[in-house]
Amino acid sequence: MALIKTQTHQPIAHDERKQARDCNSLLLELENDNPMARRWAARDLADCPAASAALVSRLQLEDDVSVREVILTTLTVMGNEVAVVGLVNCLRSEKVALRNEAIEAMKQLPDEVAPIMRGLLADADPDVRIFAVNILESLRHPEVESWLISVIDHDPELNVCATAVDLLGEVGSSASREPLLRLKARYTQVPYIQFATDLALKRISDG
Amino acid sequence: MAAISISESEFEKFREFFYRKTGIQFESSKRYFVDKRLEERIELTHSGNFRAYFTKLRFEASGAELQQLTNLMTVNETYFFREEYQFQCLVKSLLPEITGRKRDNTPIRIWAIPSSSGEEAYSIAIYLLEFWAGINDWDIEIISSDIDTKILALARHGQYSVRSVQHLPEKLLRKYFTRQAENYQICDDLREAVEFTRVNLSERIDTRAYRNFDIIFCRNLLIYFDDASRKAAAETFYDAMKPGAYICLGHSESMSRFSSLYKVRKFPEAIVYQKPLLEAR
Amino acid sequence: MKRILIVDDAATVRLYHRQILEAAGYKVYEAVNGIEALEKSLQQPFDLYVVDINMPKLDGYGFLRELRSQDIYQAPAIMVSTEAQTSDHQQAFAAGANAYLVKPVKPEQLLIQVKLMIGEARG
Ligand SMILES: C[S@@+](CC[C@H](N)C(=O)[O-])C[C@H]1O[C@@H](n2cnc3c(N)ncnc32)[C@H](O)[C@@H]1O
Repeated sequence: MALIKTQTHQPIAHDERKQARDCNSLLLELENDNPMARRWAARDLADCPAASAALVSRLQLEDDVSVREVILTTLTVMGNEVAVVGLVNCLRSEKVALRNEAIEAMKQLPDEVAPIMRGLLADADPDVRIFAVNILESLRHPEVESWLISVIDHDPELNVCATAVDLLGEVGSSASREPLLRLKARYTQVPYIQFATDLALKRISDG
Repeated sequence: MAAISISESEFEKFREFFYRKTGIQFESSKRYFVDKRLEERIELTHSGNFRAYFTKLRFEASGAELQQLTNLMTVNETYFFREEYQFQCLVKSLLPEITGRKRDNTPIRIWAIPSSSGEEAYSIAIYLLEFWAGINDWDIEIISSDIDTKILALARHGQYSVRSVQHLPEKLLRKYFTRQAENYQICDDLREAVEFTRVNLSERIDTRAYRNFDIIFCRNLLIYFDDASRKAAAETFYDAMKPGAYICLGHSESMSRFSSLYKVRKFPEAIVYQKPLLEAR
Repeated sequence: MKRILIVDDAATVRLYHRQILEAAGYKVYEAVNGIEALEKSLQQPFDLYVVDINMPKLDGYGFLRELRSQDIYQAPAIMVSTEAQTSDHQQAFAAGANAYLVKPVKPEQLLIQVKLMIGEARG
């Protein structure tokens, strides 16, 4: 026994993609018992735009994180309306992991998410509004600062504002100064807001 | 143009951002080191000041500038027995676990990517021969890959500078190398023990054939990737690994920034990531 | 000096908690998500964890579940989250939390919990 070179020269084991690769059989594969098969199906479904609805519903049930990750990647590649709506619905899920995975996927879709951002930031559920601010963190979009300003000026929920302030310390310009001061004045009794607005203001004036 | 300088809170702002993105955390004592490199990039990108540069860093769609800067902030050279504690972990913890649960006697497969000029893959080979008794009972395949064909040619050739071998114990140097003028030539037995192949980790077609590995070393590569490519790499590795297989990253790298696919495992020598032994239904 | 790991993806929150705890004489460490927190806790022992729930990659519940299954010193953990519902409290305790605070916390509130969990600082 010893150090050996690959006998085959092709370290290929076998190709897991047994099924013919048409959209219908891929959809069936998505329900396969073997996570590896589901993963490959989810990956190859990127070429079947009509499959986004099926991917979205699989996502909600899927327990294997490796399969969920692939589904999310495929949905981000598709980036169509069904995919985006599906991701938004995940924000309302009871499963924390799924919610956070959806947030990360949506960060990759500035053009598709931007048009619905106002709606998300006005959602009745404060948790969804916090998630929307989380999405803004890495969303490469010119309106991010103005969205955040409108959050801290208007959102009734303290924690939504707090999340927005955290981000304004990073992306804020002088345009954020007055709104931050207003927020600070609104919550004089809340030490965290005093701390966070001061920090953001300092960073903005130094930057 | 006035000299660019970085203020205290700009440093803080950058430090937090960079930590969030890469997991690399600079102590305040590193301020000078960080400032110098930031100033250099601000100048070279004609950003004028930190603010403009930071905006570029955050919002540039390609993430290219962030990668440039990461390159500057990390030291990148490779040498024999670099981060040796991982090789100790390999022979003392990982291989015993693998052989303990292995039901057949097919070869144990190790993939080291990126190979660069080969020091890492050869170090693994030397470590196995020297410090792992199991080598008498098991076959081991070592495959090492890089995107750069020139560097692969060097790896196959196996000639190294004094600097590159300086951490090797004298005894091993004499056993496995011969002196050639300024350099050290690695012996043919080792050259034959490692298979070097060209692979772009970010190219699905390139990696498709790489399957059934028991252990992957991926050190000092992901740190240069953007978020999306790191995530894709984590998925590629997942498919390349057997259930229960292990992956070792470089010492300043952590899966925590880009993937939740793997279990974090603590061994006495190192922290290693493991693909779950049993996949969920 | 007692060592506390703050696990939160929001930089401002980490800094806020850090300042409160450092002023009280604790040594503070940070992690931005559950995986990093797990890596750090496997590398060095902590006396207490202050953990957010919603975080990318591995959330607070997931972190505590993993942590509690590890063969290391099991320090107490305070969950700190914006979620105020009883079901969240229950889930947190089931995952292995020892106390629960709703964000944003007041400094004295945090310090009281911390002292309850690990005793006086400067020890
Ligand atoms: C700093 S070296 C790491 C060497 C060694 N693993 C170590 O830790 O000492 C980085 C190497 O990554 C290779 N590389 C860069 N991009 C790559 C890619 N997409 N796929 C494979 N290798 C890549 C480069 O050619 C270079 O040789």
